[in-house]
Amino acid sequence: MKFTAENQKERMKFVDFWSKYVLEHDDKVWSKQQNIIINAGLKNNKMTKEQYLKMKGGI
Amino acid sequence: MKTKEYLKNGGLSDVVKFVSGNSIEVGRELSVLDKFAVDFTAILKKYTEYVIVSGYVSIVLGRSRASEDIDVIIPRIDFETFLKLYEELKKAHFYCINALLPEDIFEYLSEKTSVRFAKESTVIPNMEVKFAKNRIDELTLNNTLRVKLGKNELIVSHLEMQIAFKESVLKSPKDLEDARHIRNIAEGYFDEELIEKYKCELNEIYS
Repeated sequence: MKFTAENQKERMKFVDFWSKYVLEHDDKVWSKQQNIIINAGLKNNKMTKEQYLKMKGGI
Repeated sequence: MKTKEYLKNGGLSDVVKFVSGNSIEVGRELSVLDKFAVDFTAILKKYTEYVIVSGYVSIVLGRSRASEDIDVIIPRIDFETFLKLYEELKKAHFYCINALLPEDIFEYLSEKTSVRFAKESTVIPNMEVKFAKNRIDELTLNNTLRVKLGKNELIVSHLEMQIAFKESVLKSPKDLEDARHIRNIAEGYFDEELIEKYKCELNEIYS
């Protein structure tokens, strides 16, 4: 329980750190870094249609 | 982000534009997800109004997380209009993950469930489309923010509604982080009273 709360607190700290970074830097700079996360997540996924729908509860 | 530039330049009208949920400009490098959203909505908007909601709203505003889908609400449309939309999506190599026949897809939508469209031979990213099903969905459709991404434009929900929905209905750590990011990015631009008003309406429907 304590670990979860601490972890959540740390995650929120990073949200604050990152949003400050977004506001203080040029859109091209932060988005280039953000896109590494977004594009990698999409590229590495090899799920089938059936597996994906099952994961999403049929929808 | 342009929001800060508006402040620095003292561009009150631009600030008001943002606060009223009218328009925001993000000069971002487009991700695969952004390009997918732009391609899909370029077709969708020819046939109906739409509004993008949930996680993608915070992502387009810079939140550092991935998502495999984009949620979009459209008003209830008739089958004839849906068929035209479907045919054009098909021509552009989109397909529906949930069902093959347009009649079946339309039935899914009409039964208040959503359907997902992806590009042929892929599953993600996908666009989760649903008809407006209650007062909140209607309100979301009628209160939108234009996000300009270079030459492209996307219609997303009022930030106030997104914050309210994530803080009072969804409440998962991921959603609370999304809400916090939007609050941080739009600090000084959104209407806190409106968030509370939306939360009251949401509680009536979802509690």
